[in-house]
Amino acid sequence: MANRGRLTDMIVKALIYLMLTILALSMLIPFLWMVSTSFMNELEVYSYPPKLLPEKFLWQNYREALTLLPFNKYFLNSIIVTLLSVIGQVFTCSMAAYAFSRLKWKGRDRVFAVYLSTMMIPVIVTLIPSFLIINTFGWMNTYYALVTPTLTSVWGIFLLRQFFQSIPSTYEDAARIDGASEFTIYWRIIMPLSKPALATLSIFTFMATWKDFLWPLIVTNNNNMRTVEIGIAQFHSVHSTQWPYQMAAAVVVMIPIIVIFFFAQKYFIRGITLSGIKG
Amino acid sequence: MRPSFDTVSTAIITLTAVLFLSICSATAQKKTTLRIATWLGAEEIRIEEKILAEFTAENPGIEVEIESIPNKYKEKILTSFAAGTAPDVFVLDSPIIPALLNKDVLLDLKPYVEENRLNLDDYFPNVLRIFEKGEKLFAFPKDYTPLMLYYNKRLFDESGIPYPEEGWKWNDYLDTARKLTRDTDGDGKTDQWGTLFRNQFYLWEPWVWMTGGDYLDPDGKTAKGFFNSPETEKALQFLVDLREKHRVSPSVQSMTTSGGAVELFFSGRIAMSISGHWRWASLLKFIESGEMDIGIVHLPYPEDGERVNIIFATGWCVPKNARYPELSLKLASFLGSRRAAEIRIEHPIGIPGRIEIAQDLIEKDIYGVEELFINETQYGRQPWGTIIDEYRRIEQIYQLAVEKVMIGGEDIHEACTDAAESVDLVLKRTAKYSNVIIDLKGNREIVSFLAGSALFLGILILTAVLLVKGRERSMMIKGYTFLAPSMIILLVFIFVPVIFSFFLSFHHWNVVSSTKPFIGLENYRDLFKDNMFWSALKNTVIYSLHVPIGMAISLCIALLLNRRIKGGSLFRTLFFLPSISSFVAVALVWKLIYNSQFGLANYILEFIGLNGIRWLEDPKTAMISVMILSIWMGIGYQMVIFVAGLKNIPKEFYEAARTDGASAWAQFRHITFPLLMPTTFFILVTSLIGSFQVFSLIYIMTEGGPLQTTDVAVYHIYKNAWEYLQMGYASAMSWVLFFIIMIITWLQFRFLGKEVEYN
Repeated sequence: MANRGRLTDMIVKALIYLMLTILALSMLIPFLWMVSTSFMNELEVYSYPPKLLPEKFLWQNYREALTLLPFNKYFLNSIIVTLLSVIGQVFTCSMAAYAFSRLKWKGRDRVFAVYLSTMMIPVIVTLIPSFLIINTFGWMNTYYALVTPTLTSVWGIFLLRQFFQSIPSTYEDAARIDGASEFTIYWRIIMPLSKPALATLSIFTFMATWKDFLWPLIVTNNNNMRTVEIGIAQFHSVHSTQWPYQMAAAVVVMIPIIVIFFFAQKYFIRGITLSGIKG
Repeated sequence: MRPSFDTVSTAIITLTAVLFLSICSATAQKKTTLRIATWLGAEEIRIEEKILAEFTAENPGIEVEIESIPNKYKEKILTSFAAGTAPDVFVLDSPIIPALLNKDVLLDLKPYVEENRLNLDDYFPNVLRIFEKGEKLFAFPKDYTPLMLYYNKRLFDESGIPYPEEGWKWNDYLDTARKLTRDTDGDGKTDQWGTLFRNQFYLWEPWVWMTGGDYLDPDGKTAKGFFNSPETEKALQFLVDLREKHRVSPSVQSMTTSGGAVELFFSGRIAMSISGHWRWASLLKFIESGEMDIGIVHLPYPEDGERVNIIFATGWCVPKNARYPELSLKLASFLGSRRAAEIRIEHPIGIPGRIEIAQDLIEKDIYGVEELFINETQYGRQPWGTIIDEYRRIEQIYQLAVEKVMIGGEDIHEACTDAAESVDLVLKRTAKYSNVIIDLKGNREIVSFLAGSALFLGILILTAVLLVKGRERSMMIKGYTFLAPSMIILLVFIFVPVIFSFFLSFHHWNVVSSTKPFIGLENYRDLFKDNMFWSALKNTVIYSLHVPIGMAISLCIALLLNRRIKGGSLFRTLFFLPSISSFVAVALVWKLIYNSQFGLANYILEFIGLNGIRWLEDPKTAMISVMILSIWMGIGYQMVIFVAGLKNIPKEFYEAARTDGASAWAQFRHITFPLLMPTTFFILVTSLIGSFQVFSLIYIMTEGGPLQTTDVAVYHIYKNAWEYLQMGYASAMSWVLFFIIMIITWLQFRFLGKEVEYN
């Protein structure tokens, strides 16, 4: 009996792994295409049906792609902008989410509805007014223009609000009885308990800011202020695209996100443990 | 030891200070800096930098910054005009010529030409004409190109067919294409085609002229009697037949810019392909290295027709509100000068606009190709795209007409007559706004919007606080204090732009000008009559059905990964890869997968004995194909959030359930699902909002085709805003979309958004 149970268990497990693997492999294809293209010569890219591997690995594509444009500057800019934006969002979004989930005040849900509704107008029609504002402030070509609009996001506030809601109120009740201030409860109890959610927010913020293209393009005019994603786009011209260079740059630009993702996984896995706090 | 609030805030302050200092040091400079904008890519721009180096050496007081904007060039130029901060000199070419020339926002170069005794006869008259409007001249020509037919000599040699010759006609072209269409590996499927017909207006524009047809009357006032004339229809029929009747052209996705067309020619699957000089520039290195052997010949013309071609030109122009008009003119004229053209022919993308330098290019060229290009200039007509404002919209209507004949099997006369009628309506609408006064002082009213909104919000919150008393008041103050940081940023960068777009929806605005005539509800009235918008909305709703399906799949994966299985973190990373990878790469790979001739998807279908599907090319399956791709792409995002949500469920609940002997299903049903509800709800709401705003995916994968079956709302809004320059109309559509999303979101909150209760 126990043996049969173990056998079905193993079969189920094997099937699960098989399905996961097939799906995961499909997710790997575009990435592999990027990597393999980045080593090809230009003509190989155009083979039809497409080639899986380059005949010769052209490492110089990387050297040339990264030196043709001032990628060190682009990287520096992207890092500064992205880090500030992540820090900013962790604070502003969690504070707002706290107000929307753990505090009870009149008009709260109506204010939240207004917040949420701003997600519903497509960016392509608000692009010009946003740019006009930046221009009015005289922020063209500055980090202010790149960073300030990314310091908060309704998406992030909504995400954290949902997570904060699912934390049992027993924790803060105890703290309130002890006479803790609202800020202490937010900073000492809710924030530490929300690490998985904060890690999620950080990753998505990092990714969104790192990969943003249109906004940095519109608010900057020169190479000193541009970000990596604009650099990548420069290999793609109106009449021709230098796929190997573009993909070499794209692969390098992707690395930080993968690293961050791996790093943040620790928090995903940890989760909430109730032990230690009286329920 | 966790970092205290103080250490973190100190770090932020330090970082900000560093930023501030670096900004200050960057602004300390004395020279006059001129800004140039081009769409040239990273490598192409080097030659311009070389030219600029000579200019700055001659003019030591000037510094020049050249900006490379190969992507979203038009958007960048137009927004800079809207803010009154256009670059000092920039490249003008087809897609933005009418938007700027007709609106009189560029500096007339004629006075400068006369003052400095520049000889305009040095330029090809056909090329110069494109930048002229009446007595005025708006750009110094940079380069130009006619369209030519490129042929792969190797494929001709293999089949023992003579190369096309000067003076060849349509019948010769068809004959040659027929002979070159073959099944090379004997599997019963054609894998080499004689030629390629792509439904791109700019590629077929001259063909209609050859038979004596046209798109509009010579004044550009009406399409009826021109686009549906027998001559026009004859030419279009010939082109469509290449693909549908004679089958000498593969059916690559017709509307999209690169549905594999370049790949097919470069890899020798297509023997003859039409393109401009830029193609020669990108082929040259392969020809020099002997990897390719390519010949060029003029476009064939009908037996009883005329030899006609088209001229696409680029030039250097200066905006009317340039900060330093004198210096900018000097720079623009230098960029159009003999010396600049001489440097440019080292690596020419186009043919120099200067006759003499074009001759130099012929002498320099060892393949005898440049001469053929330049000889073609005399037949070159001016494209409609450089003459009339509404060219982008008209182009779309005409392409759709051809698609209806080609894919929809519609009668050609009917399709062309319908198209001509739609174009006439468009022209009538434009005429209404043709005398809007253009002003370039920049759109300053945004300042009052900003101040007004801040004031209004301040008063609103203050009143709310004052209206309540005691404990309620203190709670409210606490609430707003916690909201303050996000509210300030949202106010400035989201609320105000959103309100501005509401204001725009009652105005006519062409983006470039700062004048916006108030037109009341007209945009909204027009919108209710705009069938294309409603069908785009319908498509959006259909598209959004992918969200719940995708979520179910993602939840299953998240549940699997949440168990302690080996390699969990590896799987999570893999599933997240599509979200990280370059979006262009993802789209391209999927285009290859979906390709009906060589794609992986059909390979698998055929392997298991099913018939292949024309995925993105078939109006019946295109939307489903896009939805499958969206599900696949969304798994990473949804899975990560689901996993985080699962981790947020206290383990004690499961432990308690297990001691009670609850089954896995019961645990899911009574613990996981209800406690995961806030997460599920979040993903549903945000994914649906995102799905109603889908844009990039459509823009890259299908451009709304085939037969507009994947034309979604925001893509439609984008085209109106940025292609047709109807920002007011686009804003009105956005607000209709806004209300629809709002209702859907409200329903979700009403029925699903309850707070969790722990029992």
